[in-house]
Amino acid sequence: MSQIIIGMSGGVDSAVAASVLKDKGYEVEAVFMKNWEEDSEYCTSERDYIDALQVCEILNIPLHTVNFAKEYWDRVFEYFLEEYKNGRTPNPDVLCNNEIKFKEFLNYAIELGASKIATGHYVRSDNKDGDIKLIKGLDHKKDQSYFLHGLNQNQISNTLFPIGGLVKSDVRKKAQELGFNNFGKKDSVGICFIGERNIKDFLKQYIPANPGHIVTNKGMKIGKHDGLMYYTIGQRKGLGIGGGHSESDGAWYVIEKDLAGNQLIVAQGHDNSALYHRSLKASKLHWISGDPPTHHILNAKIRYRSNDVPCKITDLEGDTISIKFDRSCFGIAPGQSVVFYSGEICLGGAVIDSYWN
Amino acid sequence: MYYFDHSATTPLLPEVTRLMNDINKEAFGNPSSIYSLGRKSRSIIETARNQVANSISARPDQIIFTSGGTESNNQVFWSLINGGRKHVVSNVIEHPAVLNVLNFLNKFGLKHNLVNVDTDGIVSIDEIKNAISSETSLISLMLANNEIGTLQPVKEIVEIAKKKGILVHTDAVQCLGKFNLDVTELGVDFLSLSAHKFYGPKGIGALYVKEPNTLPSLIIGGSQEKNHRAGTENISAIAGMGLAAENSIKSLNKKVNALIDLEGQFKKGLNKFYKTAILNGNQSQKLPGLISISFPKTRSDILMKKLDREGISVSNGSACGSGDIKPSPVLSAIGLDDPTNLSTLRFSFGSSNTSDQIGYLLHKLESILLKS
Repeated sequence: MSQIIIGMSGGVDSAVAASVLKDKGYEVEAVFMKNWEEDSEYCTSERDYIDALQVCEILNIPLHTVNFAKEYWDRVFEYFLEEYKNGRTPNPDVLCNNEIKFKEFLNYAIELGASKIATGHYVRSDNKDGDIKLIKGLDHKKDQSYFLHGLNQNQISNTLFPIGGLVKSDVRKKAQELGFNNFGKKDSVGICFIGERNIKDFLKQYIPANPGHIVTNKGMKIGKHDGLMYYTIGQRKGLGIGGGHSESDGAWYVIEKDLAGNQLIVAQGHDNSALYHRSLKASKLHWISGDPPTHHILNAKIRYRSNDVPCKITDLEGDTISIKFDRSCFGIAPGQSVVFYSGEICLGGAVIDSYWN
Repeated sequence: MYYFDHSATTPLLPEVTRLMNDINKEAFGNPSSIYSLGRKSRSIIETARNQVANSISARPDQIIFTSGGTESNNQVFWSLINGGRKHVVSNVIEHPAVLNVLNFLNKFGLKHNLVNVDTDGIVSIDEIKNAISSETSLISLMLANNEIGTLQPVKEIVEIAKKKGILVHTDAVQCLGKFNLDVTELGVDFLSLSAHKFYGPKGIGALYVKEPNTLPSLIIGGSQEKNHRAGTENISAIAGMGLAAENSIKSLNKKVNALIDLEGQFKKGLNKFYKTAILNGNQSQKLPGLISISFPKTRSDILMKKLDREGISVSNGSACGSGDIKPSPVLSAIGLDDPTNLSTLRFSFGSSNTSDQIGYLLHKLESILLKS
């Protein structure tokens, strides 16, 4: 008997993933994880649960619920706030996978007697003689390997990714055929616990804002910012300044956060060289195989959905890594993950600390 | 199916199902209409009112049909917001259908004090006395707790309250069919009932009111229920409740003894292979057939799910809509630490359970507990 326990979010991906497993003859149970405690109009947890329940009724599989809200708060959310306080742009979803879904949930499922877990991520895995590889999802537009780069051999080998070989449109079609209510549910974007609310309003509840000046890269004060934590490098919208403050008209972009001086440094025009850098240094380095790759020419992604850019490892020491890209990259943001690839294979990644040319 | 969660809800009695189906087919007349079809519906309701009244030794005119225990509680508490004295004494292990209403009514000027319970799960009469002030208009004390089954000294509280001109409400939804429930003997002013706890339908309940003329309606509209509860009556549900209430007091002793036997068999059987179980709440002053047990160092949510796989339904803590598990406030109130709290299951036996089913439950529990 091979029992699989799938993490069921109420979304269409994990729902179809469960049906794929059933079709393959697995004995399947589902677990709905509650990772955030909130009773507000923004929290869709109850609605998501009802969607998950309907899917499980159609597939005739049991649905359990487990609460990891405390673990999420301690290990993901506190880090998230700390990073924002330090002026960085964290990626809590990466940490949520490492600490909650592929740690707490995995352990929980094993305790419930599962031989493996499954998730609705768009990634694939491969096991050649015990060498476990994480591979991009077939649907490159939906590939989620960026968020899973922190997994280790054990975590990947204990997980099935049933929809990694499907494209999103087929997943939705299958959900509709099966009569799932959530077949047309829109993809979740942004950070799960913030939901659809404004991130600025959300952060304000947890971190005191410290307003200051917006200064151009040429030293001219051109406006006020509401607090450095609200801005991300490469950001254009929401600066409250129009174009036209200098020689050439064009939109203003955040190029740097000067924490010491509490200044937001901006430059004009998307093509402005101040927004582009060729090198970065990152820490908390993790390799999925357990070891660094043998050759130092790879591809890297500096944010979810950015293109892979060829790069070379220039320094590797302990858990820090420095790389140089073949070409300049737009908007490298400390706190985000840089994730390494060799073709379709996700090799691992690290958290960006600094960048230069 | 092995159903051991009768405190959550009970299956419909087959004769109740039949009666309700027949009524749904035939008696569609509006009970407020005076032609024969309407009169027929009205007479069905009044028959049910007699049955419910009989089951608790009340008069029919003291019974108001509501949508359930929660609405019954609400009707009592909301009636207090316009009174002269605006203070309620209750206790910490009440159901959310009491506690959340009281919390909500704070903003309407209704204050309340919650007294503690001891480690047995029983309130102290002295603490209640101390909580009473010159502003107190009502004491609300559940007759039996839904999680641990302990019985509260409601009769004694009534005697104290009477002397001070304070009314007493009791949430008795767990009690009908578990012992002789007699409102005249208890002396309470209000008592809440819920049909689905005694093999009747869901969505229907009743409020016993000693002096019905003094209580305003919660739901405002037509003059149904003698102006005590507006809205066209749910005839088949009311009839189902009536029949279920009548049945609940039939051969009561035999039913209670059957529950006590099942409980004894379960406790004895469990003790054979599992010595460290903790039985929560006073074991002599409680509902028959309801047992709250902590299994130290075993996560109750996992245990519950493993039992679920074997077709066994039991409950842990008070699960909310999305099945999310938190430490039970009731178990915390009787002094359980969080790990013990989260290792607790509630077994509540009922009329469909047999000795063989308890045997199956013990067998599965043994294999799950001894494996882990």
